[in-house]
Amino acid sequence: MGELRRTVFYEKHLKLGAKMVEFGGWEMPIQYPTGIVQEHLATRKGAGLFDVSHMGRFILKGTDTLPFLQHVLSNNAAALEVGQSQYTIISNESGGAIDDAYLYRFVKDEYLLVVNASNRQKDWDYFQKTAKDFPQMQMTDRTEELAMMSLQGPQSKNILSELLDSGQLPEPMRNALSIATVKGKKVFIGRTGYTGEPICFELFINREDAPAVWDLLIEKGATPVGLGARDTLRLEAALPLYGHEFGTDPEGKEIPVFTCQLAKFAVSFSPLKNNFVGKDALSRQFEAFKQIKKNDFSLIQDLPRIIMPVAVTGKGIARAGNKVFKDGKLAGYVTSGTMVPYWKWSEQSLTGQPTDQKDLRSICLAILESTLHSGDKLEIEIRNQKTEALVVPYHLRSGAPPYARPIICAQLPAGQAKAAVDGNTPRKVFSLLEKTVENTRWRQHECFNLIPSEQTESLMTRMLSIMDPAGRYAEHKSMKAFSEAEVFYYQGTDFIAEVEKLLEEELRLYLGCRDIETRLISGQMANATVFSAMVDYLNINNRKAEQRRIARVLNHHIMRGGHLSAQPMGALRDFVARDPVTERPAVVNFPVLPDNPYMIDVEACKKIIAEYKPELIIFGKSLILHREPIAEIRKFIDEASLGCIVMYDMAHVLGLVGPHFQQPFIEGADIVTGSTHKTFFGTQRGVVAANYEPQDFKWPLWEAVRRRTFPGSVSNHHLGTMLGLLMATYEMNYFKDQFQPQVIANAKAFAKALKEQGLDVAGDPAYGYTETHQVLLNVGYGKGPEMAKRLEESNIIVNYQAGPAEESFTASGSLRMGVAEMARFGMVEEDFNYLAELIHAVIARGKNVQQRVINYRKRFLNMQYCFSEHDFSKAMRKLYRLI
Amino acid sequence: MFPKECRYAETHEWARPEKEANIVTVGITGFAVEQLGDIVYLELPKVGAKVQKGSSLGMVESVKATSELYAPVSGEVAEVNSDISNNLEIFKSDPYGKAWLLKIKASDKKELDSLMDAETYEKQLEGH
Repeated sequence: MGELRRTVFYEKHLKLGAKMVEFGGWEMPIQYPTGIVQEHLATRKGAGLFDVSHMGRFILKGTDTLPFLQHVLSNNAAALEVGQSQYTIISNESGGAIDDAYLYRFVKDEYLLVVNASNRQKDWDYFQKTAKDFPQMQMTDRTEELAMMSLQGPQSKNILSELLDSGQLPEPMRNALSIATVKGKKVFIGRTGYTGEPICFELFINREDAPAVWDLLIEKGATPVGLGARDTLRLEAALPLYGHEFGTDPEGKEIPVFTCQLAKFAVSFSPLKNNFVGKDALSRQFEAFKQIKKNDFSLIQDLPRIIMPVAVTGKGIARAGNKVFKDGKLAGYVTSGTMVPYWKWSEQSLTGQPTDQKDLRSICLAILESTLHSGDKLEIEIRNQKTEALVVPYHLRSGAPPYARPIICAQLPAGQAKAAVDGNTPRKVFSLLEKTVENTRWRQHECFNLIPSEQTESLMTRMLSIMDPAGRYAEHKSMKAFSEAEVFYYQGTDFIAEVEKLLEEELRLYLGCRDIETRLISGQMANATVFSAMVDYLNINNRKAEQRRIARVLNHHIMRGGHLSAQPMGALRDFVARDPVTERPAVVNFPVLPDNPYMIDVEACKKIIAEYKPELIIFGKSLILHREPIAEIRKFIDEASLGCIVMYDMAHVLGLVGPHFQQPFIEGADIVTGSTHKTFFGTQRGVVAANYEPQDFKWPLWEAVRRRTFPGSVSNHHLGTMLGLLMATYEMNYFKDQFQPQVIANAKAFAKALKEQGLDVAGDPAYGYTETHQVLLNVGYGKGPEMAKRLEESNIIVNYQAGPAEESFTASGSLRMGVAEMARFGMVEEDFNYLAELIHAVIARGKNVQQRVINYRKRFLNMQYCFSEHDFSKAMRKLYRLI
Repeated sequence: MFPKECRYAETHEWARPEKEANIVTVGITGFAVEQLGDIVYLELPKVGAKVQKGSSLGMVESVKATSELYAPVSGEVAEVNSDISNNLEIFKSDPYGKAWLLKIKASDKKELDSLMDAETYEKQLEGH
């Protein structure tokens, strides 16, 4: 052993009693007196702190840096915006890995590349050689000057955020970066890590400042963790380790990069990369990989083996190098394996928690014939004895923050048993009827229904929804051959044809516009239809070639309350183009005000529109507290002569259209979509509206909306609920001048009452916290699901909502509530004071107030803002008899 | 530092003669536990198995290492500790008590004499 290097934390490890070992030329702690098992478990439940300063850190700058990185690294460095990082491979010409690495872009003109300790010299020498072709690039090895620590685990966010004295934590998304200070010392923070923990941070600090920050993190409760547990954590997360899953396999052969399934995130064939090192070999591997995933092994020679997670189901520990057999034949080798601890969970659900009980499981990663897959039974040779094992899809899931959750695949629930013959259908029918009665009583008479997207329809609306046109068809389209008259395909349609015309008239009146499409049966369908119509319209003179998608969309990110349908994961997916630079959907998000994440920053928005020139702008959110700045943006677009289509997905707030909230067409929207069953208290349907005239040059867009509705989205457009919707629209037009102001007044009163109870109401007090029917309550990171469940047990129905600081809905820290349904049952401002008191009792004092809620609901059982069946009793009786 | 009632093998097993005729309890020393780190798996012989002094009895495995367990005396396995697999942390706190691994009915108790006593074992470790 030659002279080993020491990190700046060396003395701290000694003082903590760590067992030191050699790793990659450095003297590092393998474990502290706590031991590997406890250190692993502490990371999964609390926060683990790792000294990772042994890893290499290179800084690159200069005008040739980007071309250099595109050449020597496998990922698309041009896709990295400032404040982002990416996983990448230092590839060789034969398609193997010289090293795996992480590329960070904290500031505009500088890149930080982090490499494995054991390969630092090799990587540096290779880069120096290649750099000769990239003279305007300066590369410095900052491994000594810049220390690196990793903080991982569910408590790590609390610990780190308390220590920041300026700056912010990165956005709650993997690979996001930020720059902040701790006790005045600059810290570069990345949401990256090697443990599978969804709450994860890696910190880069100057050598002199690092030890003090280490101490602060320990003081705040982080557990020091050595390389031993670092390895068990990454194994559980199925993350590769160079020398095991990259480099050479146990037979001494070079491992092709795509053997490791994470390669698909680390390798890019973007045209921006030109001819990068290993491109041809990696291309062949990627083609083989795609075919193999379709069970086509014709290209298997280019990717003969794939690394898969394997669970040992028999007795024993599988270790690197052990042979793996399938049906008696050698199928591969274990690349990494050991016994790994895990916490037992109280239940597999949103409100499940890790218990104090733990267990151990024998797991590994193995390099196996590409023909194998999840579910295959294997045998691993451990000390000349064959032990049973199983290929599993994963050992751990990180998709439900704040915890990483172990998945014991051998314990997964078996599939459904085959249905047994049961002759007792009458009993099932009876039970169904009884349960429906029970549910209706509970929900309609005993609960306060505060889910903002929900509503109860009036009796007349519901009655009409189940009358005869339900179950019938009335497909129709307008034909130019008949001067745009509507032609119906079926008979018996005169009644519903008239109803549809009347409905269009009433909605024109309500929305103040010319064009209405009523055949859609949900808000998301209305949105999908508009997206489809846009694509249709963009390709109107291009029918012979592949239809181009919408080049760029501006929307609200789902993390800031944007609706699902406007996201690439929702209805937008098949209609928005891929950005060739970022290789992701070409979507850009509305910027929000720094002190009010619920409100668009109009000035910043104008800059984004000028830079990105979106073809479609989608206003509207499902978490909505404010008006959307339609008029300001419309003015800006028109002055700049940008041809953007401005769409307002009104969804929740369709029922508030008017002088009390917004009048979208007066303010300049091109298209409005909405759900007719939220604040607009109709049946569950969707609607699209516009204001084009036949002589407008954008009129074909409206024609496309009609076509993409029928025949594009519906055949049957649910005639029963259409009839019901006409009744509800009559109600809306008749009662809106009383209903709308009451809803908004209720929301403000509710927000005020909750605030006076001492609860944390989100939003700007200058606006009374809300301008809509919604009120948002903050209950603490990750506490949303639990609080929503508790409220439901007290008959108060709300939904948990992720706020801007939360990674995903599983970590929701807020409760979203709406007052529209209860306003319909006659609640006015003062009535929300008692409700706020009850909610406070549940949330802040853990009480169950179910009986008090049931009693209170008794006052609000008569529906308002609708016509009384008594005034129309003769006709209603006829209807009852007809059902 | 090491219990005087036990005798010690070079391979870091301890052997303790019991009051019952010819029964020798076997375990691994505190030094072995410290070297291995957290013990996560044990492979122990079955009751009735015949063993020779110096032959392999099974395995003691930690996260990072595997270690063979060698018989300090010859004889027949009379009892195996069935509780220990559920309680592996006990190695750290009670390696000579609750963390006993097995009991051998020794065929020749004189074999114990060729093992080290506590003082000799301790001295020998100073070389490590």
